[in-house]
Amino acid sequence: MKRFLPLVLARRELRAGARGFRILIACLALGVGTIASVQSLSRDILGGIEAQGRSLLGGDIAIRTIYHGVNADQLRTLEGYGTVSESVDLRGMARTADGLHSTLVEAKAVDPGYPLVGAVQFMAPAEGMKPAEVLAQKDGLWGAAVEQAALDRLGAHLGDRLQLGALAYEIRAVIAKEPDRIGTGGFNLGPRFLVALDSMPATGLMQPGSLTYYDTRILLKPGVTVEPTEKEIRRLYGDAGWRVSDSRDAAPEIRNFVTRLATFLTLVGLTALLVGGVGVGNAVKSYLDGRIGVIATMKCLGASGRLIAWTYLIQVMALSLVGIAIGVAAGAVAPLALSGVIADHFPVSVHISVHPLGLLLAAAYGALIALGFSLWPIGRARAVPAGTLFRDLVQPAGGRPDSAILLATGITLAALIGLLLATSGQLVFSAGFAAGAIVTFGVLGLAARLLAWLAKRAGRVDWIRRHPTLRLALANLTRPGAATVSVVLSLGLGLTILVTIAEVETDFRGEVERDIPAEAPAFFFLDIQHADRDAFFNTISAVPGVTRVETVPSLRGRIVAARGVPADKAVVDKRYAWVLGGDRGMTYAVTQPARSHLIAGKWWPADYRGPPEVSIAKEVALALGIKVGDELTFNIVGRDLKATVANVREIDWGGLGINFSLVFAPGFLEGAPQTEIATAYAPRSAEEGVERVVNQNYPGVTMIGVRDALATVDSLIGQIGTAVRLTAGVALAAGTLVLAGAIAAGERRRIYDAVVLKVLGATRATVMRAFLIEHGLLGLMAAAIAIALGSLAAWAVVVPVMDLHWRFSVGAAAGVAAIAAVVTLTFGMVGTLRALGRRSAPLLRNE
Amino acid sequence: MVNILKGISLQVEAGERVGLVGPSGSGKSSLMMLLGGLERPTGGTVRVGGQDLAVLDEDGLARFRRDNVGIVFQNFHLVPTMTALENVALPAEFAGKDDAFERAEAGLKAVGLSHRLEHYPGQLSGGEQQRVALARALVCQPRLVLADEPTGNLDGETGRQVIALLFDLARLHGTTLILITHDAALAERCDRIVRLADGRIVEDRATAPLEAAQ
Repeated sequence: MKRFLPLVLARRELRAGARGFRILIACLALGVGTIASVQSLSRDILGGIEAQGRSLLGGDIAIRTIYHGVNADQLRTLEGYGTVSESVDLRGMARTADGLHSTLVEAKAVDPGYPLVGAVQFMAPAEGMKPAEVLAQKDGLWGAAVEQAALDRLGAHLGDRLQLGALAYEIRAVIAKEPDRIGTGGFNLGPRFLVALDSMPATGLMQPGSLTYYDTRILLKPGVTVEPTEKEIRRLYGDAGWRVSDSRDAAPEIRNFVTRLATFLTLVGLTALLVGGVGVGNAVKSYLDGRIGVIATMKCLGASGRLIAWTYLIQVMALSLVGIAIGVAAGAVAPLALSGVIADHFPVSVHISVHPLGLLLAAAYGALIALGFSLWPIGRARAVPAGTLFRDLVQPAGGRPDSAILLATGITLAALIGLLLATSGQLVFSAGFAAGAIVTFGVLGLAARLLAWLAKRAGRVDWIRRHPTLRLALANLTRPGAATVSVVLSLGLGLTILVTIAEVETDFRGEVERDIPAEAPAFFFLDIQHADRDAFFNTISAVPGVTRVETVPSLRGRIVAARGVPADKAVVDKRYAWVLGGDRGMTYAVTQPARSHLIAGKWWPADYRGPPEVSIAKEVALALGIKVGDELTFNIVGRDLKATVANVREIDWGGLGINFSLVFAPGFLEGAPQTEIATAYAPRSAEEGVERVVNQNYPGVTMIGVRDALATVDSLIGQIGTAVRLTAGVALAAGTLVLAGAIAAGERRRIYDAVVLKVLGATRATVMRAFLIEHGLLGLMAAAIAIALGSLAAWAVVVPVMDLHWRFSVGAAAGVAAIAAVVTLTFGMVGTLRALGRRSAPLLRNE
Repeated sequence: MVNILKGISLQVEAGERVGLVGPSGSGKSSLMMLLGGLERPTGGTVRVGGQDLAVLDEDGLARFRRDNVGIVFQNFHLVPTMTALENVALPAEFAGKDDAFERAEAGLKAVGLSHRLEHYPGQLSGGEQQRVALARALVCQPRLVLADEPTGNLDGETGRQVIALLFDLARLHGTTLILITHDAALAERCDRIVRLADGRIVEDRATAPLEAAQ
């Protein structure tokens, strides 16, 4: 068989070892390792969700209804398929017996059959007990099991009595694990409060119009399969407003969350790979610069440019494979190392296994990045003229590679974007990332070039010319072939992200801490009985310090059709499809609500007595593509109501007051089952008084402190901040590798400079100063770009998107400048000490 | 732009040995690069073995060198990651010859290095490296050998040995040899001496037959 000559030559060239390629290997290992870990972890979690579908759902099929459970006839039909268990979910206030403390809890009332699949785990001393035993009525007292957080918030203990609505429960167990907690869906505002279904009516919380979920779970009989049964249930009760789900997709919210998280973290890895790609390019360029003699020799001996290109491409890709393999191996073992972290954050027992497809995807990204970033320098090497050998001065290869290489680079880039879009499952997000990455790299590159040009100009300033160390530093940054632009670009990316998130956080927190409390109510109250409205209003208004109380009727219902078309088929803008997601709050009003303005139509007159009319939020209009005069059909507590759109409102959601996206004209809903929502405005000093009065007089009313809610939002922002900082950290790590590579590549030059300067009489201190100024300036250049671009990006997020005030953050700027200087100076110092450690004589003799 | 060579007209016969002499910067290396197709003239024509080099593209010139030209450098320019044998075989491998390694081994034997086949350049002395370079330049039996100060980096005795070898091998294969040198005695061993100064030929004469025959 004929040998493939480039392969033979590449193998011979590889005998020199991977010395010049350590940074390339590290860059690829970092990026590929991140992606491979994310892919493995997310697939493990998704696999866990799939494997435990029945236990997460609490059965084979689950039916969720709102306001009322399945009726006796329906229940009989369902029992024909297998064992049925019923439960009720609602939010309520748990209170200490003295009425002094209260906290919002997620109450769940279960029948004795619960759970059909899996087991509820209680902490000692109740471990091993069945829920039915724990919750049963003993000596006239019902039992409850709660999550530890409920006890912590109320300062209560096992054996204490806690009030839920109008009923006192004895706390008999602390819940360690609830098998179907995540399968229930929605997000949890409070800790779990588990009670017996039979005790529920006595709490008085299951009032008409209050938000109560009824869950009916079926464990199918042997021989009955999921899919046809589910289809039959949908056929029989399709119009009953049931949400039917099955164990094949038991936790869609978590699945979606994990998928989104995986996409985000894969993009983090890809960011690292992109920055690492700059390191790959630098490493290849620096290696090939050292091979110019060999390349020219081979050309003199008759090698074609094509042969040269293939030889070095094979070599680079072979070494890249080493980095990719390290990354893949790290990704394969990451779930093992991180299984503890997963267990803490995902209530799914994760089955750890190797995922060849995920690892292959990570490897493919690594290979494409390695290829994309090495083609350019290889293309230049291909163009090295053979005559170079006859010249004393070997110039690094420069200029633009030929069209074949440019085309190959373009195809590689296209393949990279194609792979990203084809595999991420989040098309718009990933496309946005790709576009953002290209623009960011372009802008960073231009800014870096601009700064390098300015540094070059500065070198000609008289004052600088008279300071040899400064002049030398500037000259080193701007000499031909200097890696200044690539280092500034790659460090700059991580730093820019840091500045952006720091400024966005500062601005947002400033808004939350300073601006919102000034105009926001202190409390929201939910589930006030319609009949109690006036008494409630008067009681709260009478608490000393309370400045204002507002109440609004609240009904729940959903949009079932727009202009006669079923709502799910009527969506024209998916961005706002959430307006159709289940039941929405709605109200009726005579006057136009505050903090909203009409963008179409007119508000109805105060004495309106016409056919049903509704005022909709802009988001509803956009979702369904409807305008004033169109007809919408609603289902409100089981009854259909047709109403004409009277006007469209733009709502200021930022004010934290009460506002509804659907407001009806008066005269149609007054008789429907409804509750009242209220807000109370009060200074902090009056909050305790309000809490006490509500706890004592209105045990069924759910009370949400705005201060607590803002703390939740703040912690959410903190979590987003952490995720973004992770991106910045990984990007910065990759940028640091690029810096380390550039410093390693410049070692020969630095040693030579140091020796020559010492020969000319410079002290070690002078030489060191020049090198440190060079690296300090490099760091400051990266920081300057990051501060400018990061502030711009923060402004773009804060002002047009979040509608907040943008402020320049001196702290963020100083922090980033410090990080950049520390990183560049540390690496510069190591390089400088190595250079200074060399003796002059041997080098000069060789030269 | 600087014109390095001006109005040069030079014809070299097949098998002729030409010594190219002149001070630094006189254009010796530039002339050699034109002959080897390593650089293109801004004007005029270069023909080697009847081939007009102007019509060849970059890869065409590489193929032309592969098939017709052997080059010996002052700095040897061996590929450090390859053994002596691999270095010598390289042009034959580029030419797609199946017997590249047999040819290389024979070539190294001819220059007295059959015991150094698997040594890397870094393990060889300067004289040995230049002999490897010599074997490499001749492995495809080129019609033209260009030698740029081949003894410039060698001590006197080693240099003499290398030159003797170069002349012997050239004679053996009937190869045309163009030798750049500063060494007047060495130039006198060629059939003809061409002297350049300031980019022009200032002297072109045949040497005494007796010395040339040596």
